[in-house]
Amino acid sequence: MRVLIAEDETLIRLDLRQLLERAGFDVCAEARTGAEAVELARSEQPDVALLDVKMPELDGIEAARRILEHTPLPIVIVSAYTERTLVSRAAEAGAFGYLAKPFREDDLLPAIATARARFDELAETRAEVESLTEALAARKAIERAKGILMEREGLSEDDAFKRLRRASQVSGRPMRVIAEALIETLT
Amino acid sequence: MLRVLIAEDETIIRMDLRQLLEKNGMTVCAEARNGLEAVALARECEPDVAVMDLRMPELDGIEAARRMYAERPLPIVMLTAFADRSNVENAIEAGVFSYLVKPFRESDVVPAIHAAVARHRELLDARRTVGRQPLGAVVVSVPSSNGGVWPVSLERRDDGSLDVKGIDAL
Repeated sequence: MRVLIAEDETLIRLDLRQLLERAGFDVCAEARTGAEAVELARSEQPDVALLDVKMPELDGIEAARRILEHTPLPIVIVSAYTERTLVSRAAEAGAFGYLAKPFREDDLLPAIATARARFDELAETRAEVESLTEALAARKAIERAKGILMEREGLSEDDAFKRLRRASQVSGRPMRVIAEALIETLT
Repeated sequence: MLRVLIAEDETIIRMDLRQLLEKNGMTVCAEARNGLEAVALARECEPDVAVMDLRMPELDGIEAARRMYAERPLPIVMLTAFADRSNVENAIEAGVFSYLVKPFRESDVVPAIHAAVARHRELLDARRTVGRQPLGAVVVSVPSSNGGVWPVSLERRDDGSLDVKGIDAL
């Protein structure tokens, strides 16, 4: 499993890297600021990210929020501070875990493994939601385009559908795209 | 206010947990001393989150978690003295959201609960959205030239998940 770590203090970062490698993880990127973490998450596409909270430029929680906007991945916040406001901010930002410093080697594997597993489950369910939403949107667009064709061209329902399908086949584009383009042009 | 079920066979740790959770603004709605009690009490008090020991008499925490989750999905935080991979994997497979190794500190438990609750809520929302889609309406009854249904058909597989056949499948 490829891990991104973000920690501004060099010694702690080295320590964390060693700890992770001993536990069998591959540290694929090291960030020293929140901004770097956002950048490295994008370029390295790690399987999981461990983010310190107090870092220059951008704190770990804000970095988590930005990372999740473009690169969905499980994030575990690592911090010496566990005040309620920080914890709530982390939970709101989308963190799957929160490790309080100092932590033991034994705390790492479960935190990372549970975060990864539950993240995968969430991502899978969301993908299902998306495919359903997409399917419904496609259906609506095609129904509407079909109606427009029937009215304007005096076609039967079946012929209107066939025309849309042919356009899709000829152009090599999904019927939804054809339908949307048709709606856009004719309304 | 979060309502928490605690399952822990050692009285001292159970009391400690209760104090710690109450101090952090949570309500302990049930205390179980073994896995069977945990399942029964979860049914009765419908907690927002469960904090469970792994090794308990009657029924261990992992099997209890599995049964609780099957009856009513909720975020579960597992507490245990054992951090070995197979226990972690079993817990994950049972649906556990967070896994903490004893001895634990207040600063381990409280953040774990909040993160688990927030992420589990997202998961439930996503699942509800999937369940809410009007399945019947998605299948179009207008016959296409090849006699199929159009443009998408949705089917429940035997395991309850959805099989989505898109336009490209026709």
